[in-house]
Order: sequence, then structure tokens, then C-alpha cells
Amino acid sequence: MGRKKKKQLKPWCWYCNRDFDDEKILIQHQKAKHFKCHICHKKLYTGPGLAIHCMQVHKETIDAVPNAIPGRTDIELEIYGMEGIPEKDIQDRRRVLEQKSQESQKKKQDQDDSDEDDDDDEAGPSSFQQPASQPQAAYMPPMTQAGMHPGPQAQGMPRAGYAGMPPMLTGIPPMIPGMPPVMPLIIFLFLGMPPHVARPGMPPMAPAAPITAPRMASRPAVPATQSAASKPLFPSAVQAQQTVLGLSSTTSDSPKVTFPAYTQPSSTPSVAASSSTVAKPPATVTSKPAILTTLIAAIVLLHPDEDISLEERRAQLPRYQRLIPRPGQTAAAAASAPPSGAVGGMIPSQQVIPPQQPGMRHPIHGQYGGPPQGMPGYMGGGMPPYGQSAPMVPPYQSGPPGPPMGIRPPVMSPGSRY
Amino acid sequence: MSLFGTNTGFGSGGTGVFGTTTTDSHNPMKDVEVTSPPDDSISCLAFSPPTMPGNFLIGGSWANDVRCWEVQDNGQTVPKAQQMHTGPVLDVCWSDDGSKVFTASCDKTAKMWDLNSNQTIQIAQHEGPIRTIHWIKAPNYSCVMTGSWDKTLKFWDTRSPNPMMSLQMPERCFCADVVYPMAVVATAERGLIVYQLENQPSEFRRIESPLKHQHRCVAIFKDKQSKPTGFALGSIEGRVAIHYINPPNPAKDNFTFKCHRSNGTNTATPQDIYAVNAISFHPVHGTLATVGSDGRFSFWDKDARTKLKTSEQLDQPITACCFNNNGNIFAYASSYDWSKMSRVNDDCYVHYYIQQQNTSILLSINYRGRGLCRTTSF
Repeated sequence: MGRKKKKQLKPWCWYCNRDFDDEKILIQHQKAKHFKCHICHKKLYTGPGLAIHCMQVHKETIDAVPNAIPGRTDIELEIYGMEGIPEKDIQDRRRVLEQKSQESQKKKQDQDDSDEDDDDDEAGPSSFQQPASQPQAAYMPPMTQAGMHPGPQAQGMPRAGYAGMPPMLTGIPPMIPGMPPVMPLIIFLFLGMPPHVARPGMPPMAPAAPITAPRMASRPAVPATQSAASKPLFPSAVQAQQTVLGLSSTTSDSPKVTFPAYTQPSSTPSVAASSSTVAKPPATVTSKPAILTTLIAAIVLLHPDEDISLEERRAQLPRYQRLIPRPGQTAAAAASAPPSGAVGGMIPSQQVIPPQQPGMRHPIHGQYGGPPQGMPGYMGGGMPPYGQSAPMVPPYQSGPPGPPMGIRPPVMSPGSRY
Repeated sequence: MSLFGTNTGFGSGGTGVFGTTTTDSHNPMKDVEVTSPPDDSISCLAFSPPTMPGNFLIGGSWANDVRCWEVQDNGQTVPKAQQMHTGPVLDVCWSDDGSKVFTASCDKTAKMWDLNSNQTIQIAQHEGPIRTIHWIKAPNYSCVMTGSWDKTLKFWDTRSPNPMMSLQMPERCFCADVVYPMAVVATAERGLIVYQLENQPSEFRRIESPLKHQHRCVAIFKDKQSKPTGFALGSIEGRVAIHYINPPNPAKDNFTFKCHRSNGTNTATPQDIYAVNAISFHPVHGTLATVGSDGRFSFWDKDARTKLKTSEQLDQPITACCFNNNGNIFAYASSYDWSKMSRVNDDCYVHYYIQQQNTSILLSINYRGRGLCRTTSF
């Protein structure tokens, strides 16, 4: 792929240095051991999330991550699984692992340096903590702010994808560290939101570190949508799917292209931390939103801006609109058209032209202008007593007296239909 | 079965008009199939109220028709009558005395069907398709409530062409339920409004949705004194929220649960999440049934917060469900609900299934709508 894979390390917990086979298990461990509220046992997603929960719900402050080794108790660091781990710690870890593997090789060769190396390595990461935490402190304010975003975002993410987008997009340009631009990107990928992402807002996020995170995150999404696309879809749905896939590929491409211009060493660790942090919660919730797209593909992809129900979607199809009288038409005329379906689609095509949008305003109330003609009710084209009509279509055609529907002078027909 | 007319594809449409004996996923629960089902997806089902003897089932479909069957005690179904709209029928309901059926359709009208005379009269008109229709019987008035995609909720005295009252909603009506004196309407954009119907209908409260996805179905439940006390709300994301109107402890009393998802406990593979198409409460036990796009139905006990039963998977989504007035019969409709948008053809084999609860044997104090035994003798 032309990109270095940053995460060759096996997943490990930054808080307690334990190793795991799978990132999912790592996350479960973190939630159970480090992000669990000691009061109500609610499992949160991140350290800051836990802090906020304790403050809001229990009115208690918390200053250290539970069950964390000394030096790794920072509650403000937004770490989720392997995301958010400061670059320095990752390098330390890599070094440790390399040294351990070297040690094992050396041990095979019967060397005795391993013990000293171990001590040095243990001291190493903790000694790096102090300087690392200070540049991070400078980023605390924006990070906690972003921490607020991913927090509720992660939980309410699919929803935020719909309605939360516009506010987020407006906030992008002023935030130089470039964290928020990543969020809507990822969310768009997973929910297949429309392609009008704020592309100009993306360049500010630069470094290679967060790139791999979104790209890794995008990979599960893309196969999911691709598998959805492989099923036969209505043509419009297929196009929309392709749009989504096009979106995901282009969004992952553009950061690649623009980042060299914006590499700033000082901002790298925090941006990596925050943006990859932000990327991570959506990624692990991937399984649901990605599959959700299959289900709500009809709704989201075809009408990304509208909250449209399955019934509305279906009711717009021409075949369900054939019989519905339009202003200026009679129910009789409309009803008589469909049986001759081969009639060049004259009626159906005309009826499709103003598709039946839910909010359409046809003041058909005009039909009721006539007062009840002394009958207990008003007949909307009275159905004959059952048993007389064999055909399915009601025999309006016989011209009942003054059918109330549509024979009025066409109040608002834009043009004659016939 | 010429009672329902001779349109093409009718008789040939059903593989199991008289019941099927093959072990198919079309009727895996081996329930009784209703004869002469409609030709297109069924949008709504309604059983007759207890004021009428016998069980009559009304079903509205996307084939623009409303059909009526009589369900006999031995499980046999007899088609009785049919009426038409000029657009797909989206909702049906009975009047409280069981003599009239109200039908709401995409053709923006609602009709009242007098079953005795088999005549229909148009009683309502909206500016958009009418999505819900309910009969309200109050001590000092009675009317029909229609909710439409034109964002209005209108109340009709069936004798007048003008509505008694018209209430504006923030968004299109997606589903509604009425149990006097409470009415709940769920709209687009996750809107949720509760109305109180005493004296005259008025908006009672707008509730922030407990769900994060589009609302799909709602059903009111009652407390032990048979007063409406809350509702169950289903969304497209395989989740149902149980919400009380005035609970003593909202945080604890209100909850949501996931349903109609595949891979229940297996977290390794991603879950398929399906829409909850309809919710029905058992009139006696208070348990609820949910039916979903995954082709299953489930029974739940909301007080014990447990799942009682999930059916086998049908080969099509289940689009509507309904209990009869004493809870012995659970009807559910298997038909396409447009959830996958991947149908190649428009033909849809549609069957009703009736599941009869054998209460005389299985009912016990702890038995809450559980274990629907199959009427295998049919």
C-alpha cells in the first residue's frame, strides 16, 4: 500500500503494560479495569470519560486511572485500546520488545546483559513521562474539548452522524490542531454520509500517525459497504453505494496527499493522540454502523439528507402512485388507466413527474367544497354492495353523480394532464 | 376463492393458500395460514374488539385493498369481504362496537367501512398519505384520529367533511397508538409527542426520544388498573424503548432493549441489525410481541425485563402483528417491507399466520404469554 504500518506491536495496555492478543480483548480489559466507575461500576470508554462521569453523576473527582501502574495514571489522556498512546511510549514499547527479543536471542547465546537491560527499560518509559506530559499539558484544553466530542460522539455516534454534522463542520476551520476534521470524516465513512464533507477542512490534519488510524478504520467499513453493494440493489442505491465507496477512498487519499505540508513535530504527538483517539471509538463500533448501513441503506444512502421511512420510500415508487388521483384528474380516469398497463406509460409517467413528496401541498380540500347533499355522509364514490363487481378495480367509471374527487376546476394543476 | 376477485397472479401467488406441508422457512412455526392473503405486502392487521362475538381480522395491504376474514375457533379462516382504496392502505382500525372499520391510505383519504352493509364512505382527507388511523371513544365524544405525512394530526367526526380539530406536528407522522385517554405519536426526526384525550385532544408533552434512530412503531401499554401508563417504541435499529409517562424513578424504570439482531452473543462477527416493524401488547398478560425485518417475532416481558420466546426465522420480514381481543390468537404477517432494497421482482408471497395460544393447558400464574403452542392439527 505504500505506507508503513505503524502498528506492528501486539496490542498492549498503556495503563498496566499487559499484553493482549487482540485489540478487542484489550479494550474489554481497559473498560473493566481502568475505565470502570468505582461507585456505580459503569464502564466508560476512556479515562476522561470516566472522569466526566464521576463528576457529573456522582459529583466526585477522580485524579488517577484505577489499576494503573505508577507513571501511567494520567486521567486526562484519551486512550482507547491502542489509540491515543503517546508516540514516545509506543517507541519505548517497541524498543522494549526489540530488546526483549534480542535478549531472548542473547539468552540463547548465553549472554548475561539481559538483567541490566531490563532495569534500564523499566526506568526508561517512566523517565519519559515527565517531559512528555508537559507538552501534552499544553494541549489539555483543546483535548478535553475534543474529549467531550468523542465521548458523546462515540456513544451517540450514528445519531451525531445525521444531525451533529453541520455544527461540527463549522467548527473545523478555526481548530488548527486538526482534531475535529477527523471526526466527521470517520463518521461519514461508516454511515455513508453524503460526500459533501468539508474537504477544505481536512488538510490541517497532517501527520502520518493519524492517517493509518483512519485508514485502518476505513477498511472494515469499506468491505462492509462493498459486500452490501454486491447484493443486487436498485440502480439508484448502487450509485449511492458507489458514491460512498468513492467517498471513503478519496477521504483516505487526501490526507495522504496533503500531510507533508503540515508536519509539525511539536504538534505531532498530541495530534496523533487526539485524532487517532477520535478515530478509534468509531472504528470499534464499526461492526454496528457498518452493518447498519446495509439495513438503512435505503434510507441513508438514497436520501441522505432526509429522514425518510421505509413506507415513504416505497410509496414514492410509480407503481404505487398510479391510482392516486392528481388534481385535475378524476379518480375514475386514474383508476381506469392502470389495467391497460401497456399504454405507453402515459399515465404513470405523468404521475411520476411531481413525485409524491411527503410534504406536498395539494389543497384537495377543495373537493369538499360541496356541502353534503342531504345524505348522512358524503359518498366518496360509493362502492357497490359487495358481490357485484368481479374486477379488483372499483367501477368508478360508471360515473357516479358528482364524484367529489378531482372534478373540481383544477385549482392548482400546473398544466392539463390530458 | 373468487370472493376477492380475479386479478392476475392471485391464485397463483400463494404457495400455501391451503397450507403447506413442506418444511420451509416460509412457515417455520407451522402456524395456520390465512386463506386468500393479499397480493402485496401487508401493512397492518387488526382484530375485532371484544364487543363483537367471534374473531374477525382486518388486513390492509400495499395492493390498495383491505380484506376481512373470520377466524373460527378451530383456526379455519374464511374470507369475508374486501374493499379498495386508490392507494396502498397503511393503517386500519376498528370502531369500539365492532361495526365499522376505518382504513387509511396513501391516497390521502381515510374511509369508514360499514361491515353490515359492506359500504365505504370517505371520512377524512389530508394533504399527504395518511399513515395512522385510530378510533377514539371518549365519554363526551368519539372521533377518528388520523396522522399523516403532511405533519398534521386530524380528528374527524365521521359525519362531517371537515375535521373537528387539526393539530400541527413538528414532522411527518410515522406511527401512533391510542388507548384512551392517552395517545402517542412518533414522528420523523425522532419526534415523540404524547396527547391527552380527555374533553378534547390536546398535546400533553413532547418527549425526547429514548432511541437514537428513526422511529418505526409504537404501542401503549397499561398498568394493572388498565390505565395507559407508558409506551413501547421501536426503531429501525433493532431496539425497543419502554418508556413510562410519569414513572417514580425515570432512570430506573425506563429502559431500552435490543432485539431483532443476528449473532446475539457472538461478538466476533458483526451483528446484523434489523428494524422493528410492529409492536403489540397482549391484552391480558401485558407481555409484548415485536416483529422485525429479520423475519422473526419475539415475546417479551417488560416487567421482568426478559425475553420469553423468539420464533424461528421466516424467509421474509414480518411486517405487522396483532393479538386478538382475548389474547388467544397472535396474528403476524410475513411480507416484504422494503428494508433491503434488493428485491429483484415485485411479486411477494404473502401469508398470514395465526398462532393460537392454548390457554387452557399452558396458562399458569407464571405463564406470561409464553410458549405458543402450535395448532399442528391443521
